Amino acid sequence: MNKNIIIALLLIAAGITVFFNISKDVSTYATFDDAMSGQRVKIVGQLAKNKPMIYEPEHNPDAFSFYMTDSENVEKQVILLQPKPQDFEMSEQIVVTGKMDNDIFTATDILMKCPSKYKDEEIAIKEAVN
Amino acid sequence: MGKIIYAGESLWIGQWGHFFIILGFVSAVMAGIFWYFGVRYRRTQEADSWTKLGKISFITHGISVLSLIGLLFYAMYHHMYEYSYVYDHVSDDLPLKYILSAFWEGQEGSFLLWMFWHIVLGFIIIRTSGKWQAPVMFSFALAEALLMSMILGIHIPWGDEVIKLGSNPTTLLRQMNEAPIFANAEYLSLIKGRGLNPLLQNYWMTIHPPTLFLGFASTLVPFSYAFAGLWVNDHKNWLKECLPWSLFSAGILGIGILMGSLWAYVALSFGGYWAWDPVENASLVPWITLVAGIHVHLVAKNTGYATRSVYFFYLISFVLILYSTYLTRSGVLGDTSAHAFTEMGLGMQLILLVSLFFVLGMSLLLFRYRHITSPSKEEELPSREFWMFIGSLVLLFSGVLITYSTSLPVINKIIAIFNPAYEGQVIQDVVGHHNKYQLWTGVFISFLSSFPLFLRYGATRWKENRIRIFMRWGMSAGVSFVATLLISLWISYFSWQFGILTFAGVFTVITNLDYLVNKARGRLKLAWASIAHIGFGMMIVGTVASGLNQKSISTNPFVFSKIFSEEDVKKYVQLIKGKTLFSEGYLITYVSDTLIEDARERRYTIQFEKLNDSMQVIEKFQLHPNAVYANDFSKVAAFNPDTKHYLHKDIFTCVVGLPPALQSNENAKAIEDSLKFTSHILPFNDTLLVDSFVFTLENVSYEPEHPEFQRHSHDAGLGARIKVQDKSQDTTYYLEPALGIEGALLYNYPATAESAGIKVKLAESVLEDFFVAEDSLKYEEFSIKNGENFTFGKYRVVLKGFNRAPEHPNYQAKDKDIAIGAILELQSENGTEALEPIYVIRDNMPMSIKAYSGSEKIHLRFSNILPDTEEFTFKIAKEERRKADLAIDICTDVPRTDYLILQATIFPGINLFWLGCLLMMGALILAGWDRYKTKYVA
Repeated sequence: MNKNIIIALLLIAAGITVFFNISKDVSTYATFDDAMSGQRVKIVGQLAKNKPMIYEPEHNPDAFSFYMTDSENVEKQVILLQPKPQDFEMSEQIVVTGKMDNDIFTATDILMKCPSKYKDEEIAIKEAVN
Repeated sequence: MGKIIYAGESLWIGQWGHFFIILGFVSAVMAGIFWYFGVRYRRTQEADSWTKLGKISFITHGISVLSLIGLLFYAMYHHMYEYSYVYDHVSDDLPLKYILSAFWEGQEGSFLLWMFWHIVLGFIIIRTSGKWQAPVMFSFALAEALLMSMILGIHIPWGDEVIKLGSNPTTLLRQMNEAPIFANAEYLSLIKGRGLNPLLQNYWMTIHPPTLFLGFASTLVPFSYAFAGLWVNDHKNWLKECLPWSLFSAGILGIGILMGSLWAYVALSFGGYWAWDPVENASLVPWITLVAGIHVHLVAKNTGYATRSVYFFYLISFVLILYSTYLTRSGVLGDTSAHAFTEMGLGMQLILLVSLFFVLGMSLLLFRYRHITSPSKEEELPSREFWMFIGSLVLLFSGVLITYSTSLPVINKIIAIFNPAYEGQVIQDVVGHHNKYQLWTGVFISFLSSFPLFLRYGATRWKENRIRIFMRWGMSAGVSFVATLLISLWISYFSWQFGILTFAGVFTVITNLDYLVNKARGRLKLAWASIAHIGFGMMIVGTVASGLNQKSISTNPFVFSKIFSEEDVKKYVQLIKGKTLFSEGYLITYVSDTLIEDARERRYTIQFEKLNDSMQVIEKFQLHPNAVYANDFSKVAAFNPDTKHYLHKDIFTCVVGLPPALQSNENAKAIEDSLKFTSHILPFNDTLLVDSFVFTLENVSYEPEHPEFQRHSHDAGLGARIKVQDKSQDTTYYLEPALGIEGALLYNYPATAESAGIKVKLAESVLEDFFVAEDSLKYEEFSIKNGENFTFGKYRVVLKGFNRAPEHPNYQAKDKDIAIGAILELQSENGTEALEPIYVIRDNMPMSIKAYSGSEKIHLRFSNILPDTEEFTFKIAKEERRKADLAIDICTDVPRTDYLILQATIFPGINLFWLGCLLMMGALILAGWDRYKTKYVA
């Protein structure tokens, strides 16, 4: 009996099982349309800047409501179960994680992409001129 | 347009910088070439000369890099904003203590820091490695040349495009950017540096990067020894030379990573110490492979098995360090990571760097594969080496898994090259995903780092001892089982998987304690291993305790139980200043906040009072989380937490939100502009009703009580005390709005009743009503001697004497002033009042500063001194007030600004985690030192 071969086989088996399982943890970014199924998904999109953003901590510090447009241009209300993040209005892109509930997307997590530092620098230099 | 000659630039830094960059690069390449020949001709007499040349080149390289660091540092210290790197990272108001942080904030500075450590380590190896110098140092020279290329800053035209090779930290700002401002020769006087990101302005940024980069740099040593061993085809002797270095490297890299997570925990608002962020993972994986490498290294050194694995692990560890650099610096992680460097377009160059070391190392390993011998007999099952080997395989498996998940953005990118329509894959629940799999790594590694210690290399004397060893294990398992049950009284495991993990961690601690006490018995060489393993076990238990059992004090009554489970609803509460909130056994009060201008932060005082079951306070303490402002104070940039530490738990608090008006000046202005004020007349001795509020004017004063009003900065002031009764709430507020006059400027100081949402300001027309213009007063003049008096209407004024050092709010004494105050008594039917007008001669010009009686509306001036008759002249007038009603503007719909949103979390057993990690890393470093000492010192 060759132990090394057994170990190798075990490892390969474990590897296959794990990598097969990982595929359950990953998926592409969803759209609001996909979220209608009630699955927990990640949606990437932009803040709808002309729609109201509501954060009323006196009523509930854990809920912040805004509107977001997904990659297919569908706009939906999102309720984030967190206080309003810093610099939220400046975000160029938003990724929210959560579920759809009665046409409102309830998000537990958010990631924002803000304008890069270098863009900032150009603005700073231009402002210095004016 | 002619060439512009710019004012104030110090171009010599850039010129010398450029010179040292080129010299540093060329000398590193030369060192590599010389050492290459040093290895190639190692059996000839030439070898020593080649090696010596290599050494000289490397020293030249070292001097170049150190000079470059010195130059850049000098430019930063002297705020030479003509240099792009200085402009980006330093500002006039940056405290000196952060200048080091600013130095390595950017990519170029951190590359220099990394090279600095390579040079320090390189010098030590040149001194100590003897005949291994040339083959080992070859890799150093190669690594340095490639790192140097990252700051070369050469642009090569390639068809229509320009290939950018590195980024020179001594490039001028105007070479980096095209902007109209550079048409101005005086542009330097117009710009200010951008300064250090306020998030990075703390001591962690001073100590974490150098430690982490020393860790990064130190992984090059095992790589170089492995590479050297393969190259000279000697697969045994280098093992002994390299072991102390490998131990040191794993220890210091571990400490570097740990500092990062400690920083995240104590000083950033992440609310945890490990988030499986790609940047964290990227530095964790090389540490894991390095530790695996050390274990097979010990096997190889003691038994001759597994040498190939040692090569693989050491080579791959450094490649993974380079790969982590690629991940954090190329921008490829995009939106999957919370923290990374600013993107600089060096991605391609970084890919080349990683690939080169990977291909070079792995092909050499394949080339020598058959030359690397191993005992023909297989490892025995009850041998130590067998289980150590299995352990390193588990670590490898864990590393591969983490790397795969972390690299998804890279994999997406690669697939997208071949299939542009490909939609990238992302992990939905990152933390859950990693925890699910790494839990089992934790279980396996815990068991593997406990029982095999009692086995011997080569399974010697297994047959004789096996009964005793089995009994030991059995006893340890029994004790651990009981301990695990006991611990469950303190922390909950929630699922059987975590129960097993805890048992595994406890078992590691118990067996290794047994080994430490009964087997190692003070023999340090044996002891370090069990100390490090005890640390690992403690870390596992600490992770389960603090990660799984963290509990919010600040719970929210609004639980969306139908949508999400309770743990998903996060843990924030709104605290109103001065109002105590009861939550989870604590009374929480937002007591006060203070602006600390030097530190650009606002410090909040939050008081916690712990209650027992009969609602008595049993413990009271205050925490001070803060908000950090942007460098120009225009907005809040970040929040920093504060933590109360106990032996068995931490109470962590962080402000997570503020009222919009306090977050930025822009918001504050927008909100102020949106307030709707209505104008009202508030009569004396009567009330005004607005909504459900009753306003009563209590008092008007020329010495306002408003907290922001400072008498000395204004020529005059006016304040009112207004009583506001809220009929709906049955509460009363007192508001004291004020006005300040300074020359022609008028300052308004509104007053706000936060909880009622009322804001009141004095209307500007109030000025005309309450301040009488001097020329509208009809003065009468009287001249009297000291002690005499005069009569004005129904008033009598007595001159009682003089004051040679008069004081008056409107008078500020200057040198050479001649000032006299007249002590006068104003007598009327309402009683007497003392008044002191002042006569001043300043620069041969006489002036008079009047005294005013608010109750009698009498203005009194000391206007002249007549030396001939010994008389003094006074002017007196009574003002005729047109009306006494107060015009005010009222807004009853003001958003409140006296609250904050707080997160308060208890982390039980977190000290076990820190202590465990510290034991692990400390033991690695001390073991390395121990072996180094026995090799070189003894």
